[in-house]
Amino acid sequence: MKQILPLILITCAAPAIAQETRQMHAHEHGVGELNIAFDGPQIAIELHAPGADIVGFEYAAETADDRAAIDAAVATLARPLDLFVLPAAAECAVTQASAGLESEAHDDHDEAGHDDHDDHEHDAEHADEHAEEHHEDEAGHTEFHAEYLLTCANPGAITGIEFAYFDTFQNARELEVQMLTPAGAKGFEVERDAPTLDLRGMF
Amino acid sequence: MILRLAFGSLLARALTVGMTVLAIALSVALFLGVEKVRTGAKSSFADTISGTDLIVGARSGSVQLLLYSVFRIGNATNNVTWESYRDIAAQPQVDWIVPISLGDSHRQFRVMGTTPAFFERYKYRQDRALEVATGAVMADLFDTVIGADVAATLGYAVGDPIVVAHGLASFTQHDDQPFRVSGILAKTGTPVDRTVIVSMEAIEAIHVDWQSGAKIPGRTTPVDAIRQMDLTPQAITAALVGVKSPLQVFALQRAINDYPEEPLLAILPGVALQELWQIVGIAETALTGVSAMVVVTALIGMMATIFSSLNERRREMAIFRAMGARPGTILGLLVLEAVLMAAIGALIGLCLLYIGLAIAQPVVDRAFGLWLPIDAPSLREFWVLLGVVCAGAIVSLVPALRAYRLSLADGMMVKS
Repeated sequence: MKQILPLILITCAAPAIAQETRQMHAHEHGVGELNIAFDGPQIAIELHAPGADIVGFEYAAETADDRAAIDAAVATLARPLDLFVLPAAAECAVTQASAGLESEAHDDHDEAGHDDHDDHEHDAEHADEHAEEHHEDEAGHTEFHAEYLLTCANPGAITGIEFAYFDTFQNARELEVQMLTPAGAKGFEVERDAPTLDLRGMF
Repeated sequence: MILRLAFGSLLARALTVGMTVLAIALSVALFLGVEKVRTGAKSSFADTISGTDLIVGARSGSVQLLLYSVFRIGNATNNVTWESYRDIAAQPQVDWIVPISLGDSHRQFRVMGTTPAFFERYKYRQDRALEVATGAVMADLFDTVIGADVAATLGYAVGDPIVVAHGLASFTQHDDQPFRVSGILAKTGTPVDRTVIVSMEAIEAIHVDWQSGAKIPGRTTPVDAIRQMDLTPQAITAALVGVKSPLQVFALQRAINDYPEEPLLAILPGVALQELWQIVGIAETALTGVSAMVVVTALIGMMATIFSSLNERRREMAIFRAMGARPGTILGLLVLEAVLMAAIGALIGLCLLYIGLAIAQPVVDRAFGLWLPIDAPSLREFWVLLGVVCAGAIVSLVPALRAYRLSLADGMMVKS
């Protein structure tokens, strides 16, 4: 029996070893992702934006100011119609809104490999932290995630979207938009210089 | 009054004017025709696949995944394991999922393994389903359905045997397990036309006696024995996924892209098609440029005719002046004539376009799978026509100004 015990332990541990996967998302400061899906009167919106775009830093909040900045950002992100302005005629209302800050380091995965991050301009700053095998939150990039569900009384009146987002968040340069309409999927790049999206003919 | 004069003057020179008008008409028809083909090609391209919410494959680039899964160009970097496929199929958002398996070929055409659901789920040109022109969808393990181009190029009919080659450019044939053509699909204008479709199990079946890419010599499993085997695939190349509600597409896409067990990629076909078009679409700009140059050439031709007509009409102009016409009237007359020529040319060009479209539409659809819609002139076409007329007026100003300056003196001093 005593000889079997280590064997059992190894067998139990095996899945844990096998499950070690390393992956990191692409993370480019200034560029956020916005997904919009239209389904009848409902619109689902997902926003993923780097912490640098929203609050200007990506370390874990240290001071009261940092925490206040994050809280304010989350509160702003919870009001989607102020960020992505739809025509008033569409009569859209927010059904659900959730926003939060997510750190890559919060993932369950082993984060030792940071290879696919070399292209990052800020890497030098973080180099010392990267050296650690298991770094804490402050080494990872942070992303703000927000999900919204809107209901519009008159979705046909949606002729475009005004991105007040860029006025609110000065560090944001670009949003990569994937849009799903009854006419099919479309991709757009909305930039600070031209913060509007023309949706005429999409419905 | 001046309009009647202009008309009369044009009629008097019917032949030269006719040629000029014809040149303008042809150039306008060409320009509008190129525009039609360009937009038709663009929408045909965007309509290559519709009704599919996500395409799932090994993690690579979205354009690459689209190229090999839909256009059968290039190869997958990796396969997707059957376990991952089962996992994705079990996701609550998934309405339907169709696996595809690529890698073998028949002559110059790719062989694709899939499930019968492919025929009802694959849609093109806004919800048009695949149609079997002759025969039926495969019922037997060794049945195959071939695309219209495959049948036309290789001269196959329903019931013909087909031997599938291992790999894409290989001399090794799966000749121990020949297939039978059970159906031929109607022309779609999509890459399906150039595809030999077999069942998922058949892909496994033809590889039963193969190990590490080579045939095991002297070993042939009888076909009957293969039929008894468990032919669940080990891996697939990609999968087409339909999602229950559009609102869930992005959540599923994210779940697949974050799938920890295997690096997978889920793309929205429409977005990837658009990315691909941005690469291919440079040619369309060139095409538009060339046809615009043809219109410019025709207008310059008109300017040349007006110039040369000035010589013939020196005396006419002088008489107009002598009868009290102001130089401005002469200028107006010449510009009006040019505008009339350009307008008639543009209208005839538009007619030519529609006649051409009516004749070419079915032919082009059959030959290239390119659908050119015949509909009322768009606002854009209207602007093009108006642009041609305005350009005609501007171009005619050059000879008209010359006539304006010279009409009296020139005409009165004719010596010959």
